[in-house]
Amino acid sequence: MTDRVKGIIESINIDSEEAIGRVLDQLDTLSKLTDGEKTDLAAVLTTIFYHDHAGKPDMTRLANRAEKQIARFGEAALGTLTAELTDADPESAAHLGRAIALNGEKAVAILLDTWNNKRDDDFAIINIVQALSYFRSDAVIKSMPEILVAAKSKNHQVRAAALYALGKLALRLSAEAFDEKLRLKMFDTSFNLLSDSKPLVRKDAARALGKMIKKGILIPCQRKKVFKAFNAILGNDEQHEWDNAFIVRHEACHFLPYCSEAETLADKYRQSYRIVSKRELCDKTFHFAIEAPFIANKLQAGQFIIVRPHGLSERIPLSICGWDADAGTIHIIVMAVGKTSSEINAMNVGDCFTDVVGPLGERSHVKKHEGTCVVIGGGYGTGAIIPTARDLKALGNKVIGIVGARNKDLLLMMDELGEACDEVRPTTNDGSAGKEGLVTDVLKEIMDREKVSHVLAVGPVPMMKAVSEMTRADGIETFVSLNAIMVDGTGMCGACRVSIGGETKFACFHGPDFNGHEVDFDQLVKRQKMFVKEEKKALATLEI
Amino acid sequence: MSEECIKELSNKERMNLPYQEMPLHPGIERIKHFYEVPTGYTPEMAKAEAMRCIQCKTPACVAGCPVGIDIPAFIKLIEEGNPADAATKIRESNFLPAICGRVCPQDKQCQAVCIVGKKNDPVGIGCLERYAADYERENATLKMPDIPKSTGKKVAIIGAGPAGMTAAYELRTRGHEVVVFEAFHRAGGVLVYGIPRFRLPLEIIDEDIAFLEKIGVQFVYNMIIGKILTLDDLLESEGFDAVFIGSGAGLPKMLNIPGVNANGVYSANEYLTRIYLMQADKFPKFSTPLYQGKKVAVIGAGNTAMDTLRTAKRLGADTTCYYRRSRDEAPARSEEVEHAEDEYLNWKWLSNPVEFITDEDNFITAIKCEKMELSEPDDSGRRRPVPTGEFFTEDCDTAVLALGCDVNPIIPATDKKVRINKWGVIMVDETTCQTSKEGVFAAGDAITGGSTVILAMGQAKMAAKSIDKYLKGDLPDAPDVPTDPEHWVKEWKFS
Repeated sequence: MTDRVKGIIESINIDSEEAIGRVLDQLDTLSKLTDGEKTDLAAVLTTIFYHDHAGKPDMTRLANRAEKQIARFGEAALGTLTAELTDADPESAAHLGRAIALNGEKAVAILLDTWNNKRDDDFAIINIVQALSYFRSDAVIKSMPEILVAAKSKNHQVRAAALYALGKLALRLSAEAFDEKLRLKMFDTSFNLLSDSKPLVRKDAARALGKMIKKGILIPCQRKKVFKAFNAILGNDEQHEWDNAFIVRHEACHFLPYCSEAETLADKYRQSYRIVSKRELCDKTFHFAIEAPFIANKLQAGQFIIVRPHGLSERIPLSICGWDADAGTIHIIVMAVGKTSSEINAMNVGDCFTDVVGPLGERSHVKKHEGTCVVIGGGYGTGAIIPTARDLKALGNKVIGIVGARNKDLLLMMDELGEACDEVRPTTNDGSAGKEGLVTDVLKEIMDREKVSHVLAVGPVPMMKAVSEMTRADGIETFVSLNAIMVDGTGMCGACRVSIGGETKFACFHGPDFNGHEVDFDQLVKRQKMFVKEEKKALATLEI
Repeated sequence: MSEECIKELSNKERMNLPYQEMPLHPGIERIKHFYEVPTGYTPEMAKAEAMRCIQCKTPACVAGCPVGIDIPAFIKLIEEGNPADAATKIRESNFLPAICGRVCPQDKQCQAVCIVGKKNDPVGIGCLERYAADYERENATLKMPDIPKSTGKKVAIIGAGPAGMTAAYELRTRGHEVVVFEAFHRAGGVLVYGIPRFRLPLEIIDEDIAFLEKIGVQFVYNMIIGKILTLDDLLESEGFDAVFIGSGAGLPKMLNIPGVNANGVYSANEYLTRIYLMQADKFPKFSTPLYQGKKVAVIGAGNTAMDTLRTAKRLGADTTCYYRRSRDEAPARSEEVEHAEDEYLNWKWLSNPVEFITDEDNFITAIKCEKMELSEPDDSGRRRPVPTGEFFTEDCDTAVLALGCDVNPIIPATDKKVRINKWGVIMVDETTCQTSKEGVFAAGDAITGGSTVILAMGQAKMAAKSIDKYLKGDLPDAPDVPTDPEHWVKEWKFS
């Protein structure tokens, strides 16, 4: 240790602000410090950081001066600083971190090295992340991948520290430092943590998102998502369930004004596809109401929609069992049979479908008939006949509904159907409710009793086929709704080809309702089995 | 090579320079992956190829380009070592250079009329266009165009494919508010669902879509116009001042032969959509399944057929092309056929499918074809395939029909004021792209019944110009829309 350094070190009295001030003044006068001297001085100056500054504004000022002084020592001091950083208490760590951060790129590399060596030490990592958040140089962007990983740590304090750093850096660095991919990751990470179980993490997530928006590095749809989420945190949405932690609400409230902006023309047409209600009808079968006001406004009986619950999903067609144009919702019934339907049934109120397309297909054939209209639903197909029954009834027809199921627990939507029909006749295979037998048994009864002019059957293919066979001899107009395999739903791909009276038709575009007497049911059944093997494979990968 | 050296070259010398072939992944290697087949020019190759252009005073190539790119000018810039400006030059008339450089049928357009091509190989205009565009993208030299102050006029664009994207660009850069309504969950149209990644990587399409978003074009997905909103809704309650239809040719043609509805028989649209839009090749991570057999039969020999053949091969199938004419009549871009021929495919020319044979579960097991022969040229000069009465059957477990498409019928079916011809093609005034419904314009496959990206772009540009005039009240009221249901213009001229 050189004499001049020794002199300084000995004159330092950590309890005397005056003495510290004098030493710092003295340091400014020294020139040509060697690396060894710098290291020694750094080790002494850091002791200032550990001093309790509470109630001593002068001391804080001195600590800040010391930060800059040490930073001037450059690389020679970085080793000492990082070594101390890993064990320091939070306040001292803040000073150490700031001193390190003033060194730019080289310091980033050293911090990342230290991070690597201290992987299992959450305490050290929190301090390192905090130090990284003080950088003003774009060089710190190199540490982003690590910070994003830290945001997924099991330790909630590490998660919070990482989010804190994300927000700080978002605001501090130049916007160009963040490329598109990084922006997306920063957004996804922070947004997901808005629903963390720990209030501290939620708070820092809200803060990070707020700062990213303030900086202008989020795209409109992300901003909209945050806007919605913050409103939910504040209880401003329809659910009125505010976040119970004040600190989270406080951040949301602070940053909310930055999120809202003039609605663009296109925003109006962006539907949320949010689930607003969900109820279990029977085992594995749920009724959902989904927010899709534009679809609800145009739906007609017999039409269908195509949905993708999430970004990796296939597009699957679903029939509509009702809608509420005023509330802007559409209603579907989903029975879990494969991977995608199981994934849908695992969704809850508040969750959003990634895509909902509709209305698709043509309206059911409805008009005033001379005789009775019979609508027949099998299994979860029962939902689909309700809108048509309602239309038929509104035109002044006498409408009888027949519902078939294996047992009474599987009879669905009986009340709703009851309201749409003059009479509802349930049938069950085991006789546990209504007539024991098949829907055709009841249909036969009705046909013997009165003149039937129109039949609509929706359900399993064998049921639709049996109904069509029964009405063929009497030439009763019979429609069936074909649930073929589909991809796009607009006629673009032809996956849904069906043979109708010897001609190939597309179920999505020409249908879904077809004359039951003309449908090649055998081919339909076989075509529906096209992907049986693949569906099993997909189901095996199901994770809910 | 120095500047002086370049200047010293005479036209004759230039014309004798060798054609720089773009390097390709070798066939044996590329059938194992979906990476782009041609790997792009190096700067040296690009310069060497650019030097072959003799800078004609009245360039035939420009006349041969549906959007009239100043081809000699951009080639000159590449020769001078300035690919960024070359890209800017192309963008004056074509804002999708990276896409067009890859998918345009240059062999039937600019390169077909290239003067150099009379004695030597024509200048590789497409390759050079791709080079300039790639340079621009990789080095981020693209400058954002100035968007004039909003005119306050709103235009709805139906379909986010090549036509819709072009119209959106042209209208937005004229200061109009533009909303694109797309039926699928992502933009790009046929570029995404119909063109394989090994011909057109997704990043390139996404870059162009992001560019449109940056200049203020707004996209809305999952909107099937005609169903969720009608044309009248757009023009009346939704307050749009004009509508552009770029809904494409999305109704696949199927063969009317036994077994066409067998399991395992796809339209090319379905097959390619499952893979390229829904990513069925990554099943089960992506949930869309594909029943992909070991022996795939592809029927047709157009671009889509080549795409399907090469896709099936990459998925590991033994793949055969069945076409009722011979190789010389194959309508595909010549480069596509050549690339396909290096990929270990089987070719059955002059074979006309007459039946798909199925098992009891309706799965296809074999394809039955009739052998054809070419007749003497008839009055139209075409050698038509005529049946020989000789048949053969080959096993296969998947068949894909790549026979082209009809126009998607949803919009005309939901608005009778939009006049269509006998084949469902939307009829327009051929100088303005106006339809028979006021305020509604159309371009692309919707008015040609299936054509190329560049032609769609040319028409969309014309339509956008007309819409701009219409919004300013400069367009004569009554468009000249044909009334003859047999009328169908397939060849388009642009002024």
